[in-house]
Amino acid sequence: MGRVKIARKSTFIDMTAMSDVTVLLLTFFMLTSTFLSKEPTTVVTPASVSTEKVQETNVLQVLVSPKGQVWLTMNNDTSAQWSNANMRVALLDEVTKLYNESHKNKISFTAQQKQAFSKLGSFGVPLSQMGEFLDLADQQEGLTKMDQWLAGEDLNPNHISGIPISKENSDDNLNEFQLWVKAARMAGNDNLSQAMKDGMGVAIKADQNTSFEVIHMVMDNLQTIKQNKFTLLTALKAGGE
Amino acid sequence: MAEVQQSGGDSGKKGHQKKMQIRVDFTPMVDMNMLLITFFMLCTTMIKSQTLTIALPTNEKVQNEENMSQASADDAVTIIIDAKKKPGPTPGTLVVDSVNGNVVNEIYYYDGKPGGEAGMLGPGGAILSQNNNLKKSDLLSDEVNSVGDHKARGIRQIIQERNKAVLEKVTALKKDLADGKFGSLETKDEREAAMAKYNEAASKVRKDENIKKPVIIIKSTPEASYRGLVDILDEMQINSISKYQIDNLTDVDLIMLDDYRKNHKE
Repeated sequence: MGRVKIARKSTFIDMTAMSDVTVLLLTFFMLTSTFLSKEPTTVVTPASVSTEKVQETNVLQVLVSPKGQVWLTMNNDTSAQWSNANMRVALLDEVTKLYNESHKNKISFTAQQKQAFSKLGSFGVPLSQMGEFLDLADQQEGLTKMDQWLAGEDLNPNHISGIPISKENSDDNLNEFQLWVKAARMAGNDNLSQAMKDGMGVAIKADQNTSFEVIHMVMDNLQTIKQNKFTLLTALKAGGE
Repeated sequence: MAEVQQSGGDSGKKGHQKKMQIRVDFTPMVDMNMLLITFFMLCTTMIKSQTLTIALPTNEKVQNEENMSQASADDAVTIIIDAKKKPGPTPGTLVVDSVNGNVVNEIYYYDGKPGGEAGMLGPGGAILSQNNNLKKSDLLSDEVNSVGDHKARGIRQIIQERNKAVLEKVTALKKDLADGKFGSLETKDEREAAMAKYNEAASKVRKDENIKKPVIIIKSTPEASYRGLVDILDEMQINSISKYQIDNLTDVDLIMLDDYRKNHKE
C-alpha cells in the first residue's frame, strides 16, 4: 500500500493582477472626484423629479441653515480674467463700495485681507467683522478658527456667523445679504451677471426640514432686489414620476 | 507574473549555481491602493445636485390696477401647505416622522375664492363655517395596478382633473413621440432632436391661451417645511401646469385653516 504523497505547494498568492485592478480603480476615482467643499452647515436637500443639472460655473450659491443663517459660495468659470481670486477681490471691492454708500461706519480692506478673502470657500460674517475675520488667516491655526467662526462654534459670543439678513427691508436700505447679491451682479463679470439674470446664477441650498418662514425670508430678500428668478438645489427623487 | 526566472546560462560549467527566483510581493502595494481607493470613494461626490428653476413676481406694488393680472375665480386653485401639529395641550409642536425625522406636511386646497362666492366672513367679522370650502388632501404617489397603469391620487388627482385639457394634449404628444412622429429615436442625436421638437410642442400646448387651464396659487404656513414647497412645485412639473405662483398666506386663509381643524378633529 503506497502512501499518497501530497505535494507541498507554495502558499504564495500572486497579487500582481489584484494590484493592476486596484490601480485602475484608483485612477478612475482620482480623475472623477470632485471634493466635497467644506460648508459651515450640513444640509439635506429635498428630493424632486426635476432632472435639470446644476450649473457648475458662474453660480452664487446661497446656503441656508434651518435657523435662518445664510452663507454664500461663489463658483466662477475658469477664464483668466475672472479666475476665482480675481472675481473674489472684485466682489469684495464692490460690496465695500455699496456698504460705504449706505452706512456711516466705513469699512476698508488691506491687500492682505483681500488676498485672504480670495482663498475662502464659503463666506458669511457681517461686513463690520469681516476685517477681523480675514486677519485670522495669517494666524496660527487661523483656518480652523475661521471654520469655527463660520459654523458658529466660536467661543467668542461677539463673533456672528452668517450674513445679516434682517426681515425689514426697503429699497433704500438694503441688508448685507442683498448687498452681496447685488455686488455679485455688478462686479463686472458679464458671464455671472447674465447667469443671474437668467436665474441659473443664484442657487438656494437649504435643508428639507427648514421652515417655510426662513425660505420665504430669503426669497423675499431676493425679490426685493429684483432677483426674481433663481433655482433651488434638489436631489433626484428615486423612482421618478 | 511577479517572478523573474533566471536560468543560469552557463551554470553547468562553473560549478553549481542555484536557479534564482525573484518574486515581488505585491500584497502591501494592494493594501495601500485599497486604502487610497477607500479614501477617494468616501470623499467624492458622484451625484450632482439637480435644480428647480422658479420665477417670482417683483415685490414692487403695482400702482395701476389694470396692470394687475387677476386670476379668475373659476380657474384659481389655492393649495396651502401646513405642518402637522401635535394635538393636545401643547399646540405648536410639530409632528416628526418617526422613521426619517422629517417634518410632516399637510396639504389643503380650495377652488376659487376663500369661502366661495358668499365669503368666509359674515357681518361683524363672524366666521361662517358653512362657507368653508377648504378641503384636505394628501401628497401621494401614483397607484399602479397589475397592468401597469398609473392612477393619480391625492392632490395630484385634483390637479390633473383641473388640468385635463392640457394633459390630454400632452399625453397625445408623448404618444406621438413614442410612435416616432417627431423623428426617429434610433441614435442618440436623433433622439435628442426628437425630444427637442417634443418639448417645444409641449410647451406650446402648456402656454396655449385657448385651452382652459387652472391657475394654481401655492401658499404655505410659516411652520411648514421647505420639502413641502418643493413637493408641490414638483407636482406643477409633473402635471404640466404653466400658471402657478407662490403667494403669501392671508388672514382669511388662516381663519379657514383654524375653522377646518375645529370642525374636523381626528
